[in-house]
Amino acid sequence: MSQEGKLTLDKRLALVSFTKDPRPFITVETELCKECEKKPCLYICPAGVYTWQDQLNYNTEGCLETGACLVVCHKIGAKAIHWKYPAGGKGVSFRQG
Amino acid sequence: MSGEGFEVAVVGAGPAGSAAAITLARQGVQVLLVERGSFPGSKNVFGGRIYTYALKRLLGDAWKDAPVERFIRKEGITFMSNDSAFTLEYEVKDPEQSFSAVRAKFDKWLAEQAEKAGAQVITDSLVDDLIVENGQVKGIIAGEDKIPTDAVIACDGTTTGLARKAGLVKMLEPQQISIGMKDVIEISPGTIEERFGVDQGEGAAHVFAGSCTDGLRGGGFLYTNKDSIALGLVVGGDDVSIQAKPSHSLLDRLRAHPKVQRLIKGGKNREYNAHMIPEAGPRMLTRPFTGGMLVAGDAAGHLLNNGYTFRGVDMAMIAGMAAATTILDAKKTKDYSAGNLQSYETRLRKDPALKDMYTFSKVPSYLRNRRLYGVYPEIVCSAAEAVYRVDGTGKKKIYKEMRAQTKGKVSTLTLVRDLLAGARTF
Ligand SMILES: Cc1cc2nc3c(=O)[nH]c(=O)nc-3n(C[C@H](O)[C@H](O)[C@H](O)COP(=O)(O)OP(=O)(O)OC[C@H]3O[C@@H](n4cnc5c(N)ncnc54)[C@H](O)[C@@H]3O)c2cc1C
Ligand code: SF4
Repeated sequence: MSQEGKLTLDKRLALVSFTKDPRPFITVETELCKECEKKPCLYICPAGVYTWQDQLNYNTEGCLETGACLVVCHKIGAKAIHWKYPAGGKGVSFRQG
Repeated sequence: MSGEGFEVAVVGAGPAGSAAAITLARQGVQVLLVERGSFPGSKNVFGGRIYTYALKRLLGDAWKDAPVERFIRKEGITFMSNDSAFTLEYEVKDPEQSFSAVRAKFDKWLAEQAEKAGAQVITDSLVDDLIVENGQVKGIIAGEDKIPTDAVIACDGTTTGLARKAGLVKMLEPQQISIGMKDVIEISPGTIEERFGVDQGEGAAHVFAGSCTDGLRGGGFLYTNKDSIALGLVVGGDDVSIQAKPSHSLLDRLRAHPKVQRLIKGGKNREYNAHMIPEAGPRMLTRPFTGGMLVAGDAAGHLLNNGYTFRGVDMAMIAGMAAATTILDAKKTKDYSAGNLQSYETRLRKDPALKDMYTFSKVPSYLRNRRLYGVYPEIVCSAAEAVYRVDGTGKKKIYKEMRAQTKGKVSTLTLVRDLLAGARTF
């Protein structure tokens, strides 16, 4: 396939502008994740915030603030995610939404 | 933020919030419109296209100043298999009925109209909570600021935080949401017009069903802006979680399809963005009001996505206007109790535009049928291949070919049942 097809998530997120919120707006009780069978957060997040390597890791720097992880974690997962929006004016800023 | 003298606080400067604020401010109500983003639209993402009627209803002739990207001349739907595509296209009579837009421009412009009408717009401000006295909402709390008001209109979008705080909804279910994401790809205006066969200033809206979602509930979309193409995909929250397919990998599938490749060829990526979509309809909330507060737009499930038309922005604007009108009525007696705000629900149900949401209320459950995303698009493509293929090996009549294609994939009974259910739903 020609080059138009190839666009990794990292490249995609590099095109998005963020203003970092120093406070953690998402926290995960990762101990609970060990009991989580389906780990839906790994699949729903369009920004790949959640990854699994021996344990649940999360990096909110690329968070696009959809809030979908909260829904699936609480209904399919082990209710480990505490989620709120970043402070006013912080977080993602879309120019092409 | 000054806490003095606001009669109504509107939370969220999306289409619902700005429409509500415009409607109130025009009647001289002291309105505060609060937005968490650094400008209205900076947090908002859609396909997308806006149906003009709603904007006309809100602004009259002044709708013509809206930041339109392109008026939609061509409506298309493509059923795709991995390596083929069957497309239907319709050229609408009146392209002014809808236009493509970019939310960072459109939402910003609409909030400016609210400001012009007399509303005070505050950005960079996240509303954390509600002031509640004796079960009645009496204002908003944003950080250190407590702002007392007579009433609040919650237009805070699909995460519906304020309705949750007011006890109007519990946590949503995964099947009540979809996740949508898109690439915005820069392409020159001339190339867009050539590739899509449209005149200057006109554009195309296109949806894709089939292999792009790998059998999951959802589909792709494409809209042409002035000098870019918005290419995205929506997938069901339950499906993507349980089938364990990273949501963004499906956008890659769409992008990699040969038909799509030809449409975006030579383009440069401008941005990637994503947003959640409420799919449960207005029944998402137990009711869209409580004492002192009304909920409008995505936050109340005011959206209709039936697969070929996606209506969130127009519904949000109309619902925002309905909420504001309800407040204007309540203002006459200064009674903002739940009992008195109840007329909001009737207003929503009776509105000729919003009525569609209730008429098509069975659509979300119909669209949960996975055959629509897997086997049916596959059958359409293989039947078309059989019809158009000439290789000298002899051909069947079209009807026989169609029958042969469905064989083993889906029983006649199931097919008929799905068709009938579709006829009843749409
Ligand atoms: C991928 C995708 C494609 C779509 N395509 C289309 C389409 O083509 N056509 C169409 O009509 N619709 C489409 N929609 C739906 C449409 O985007 C929504 O229905 C519409 O934006 C709803 O408007 P709203 O005002 O209710 O909410 P939003 O537009 O979400 O606005 C909510 C606002 O509230 C702000 N906010 C939230 N919480 C707070 C808080 N606590 N304090 C302060 N501010 C807050 C947000 O920053 C935001 O500005 C699409 C949606 C998606 C995700
Ligand atoms: S879904 Fe929730 S509980 Fe499960 S792995 Fe993810 S964060 Fe942990």
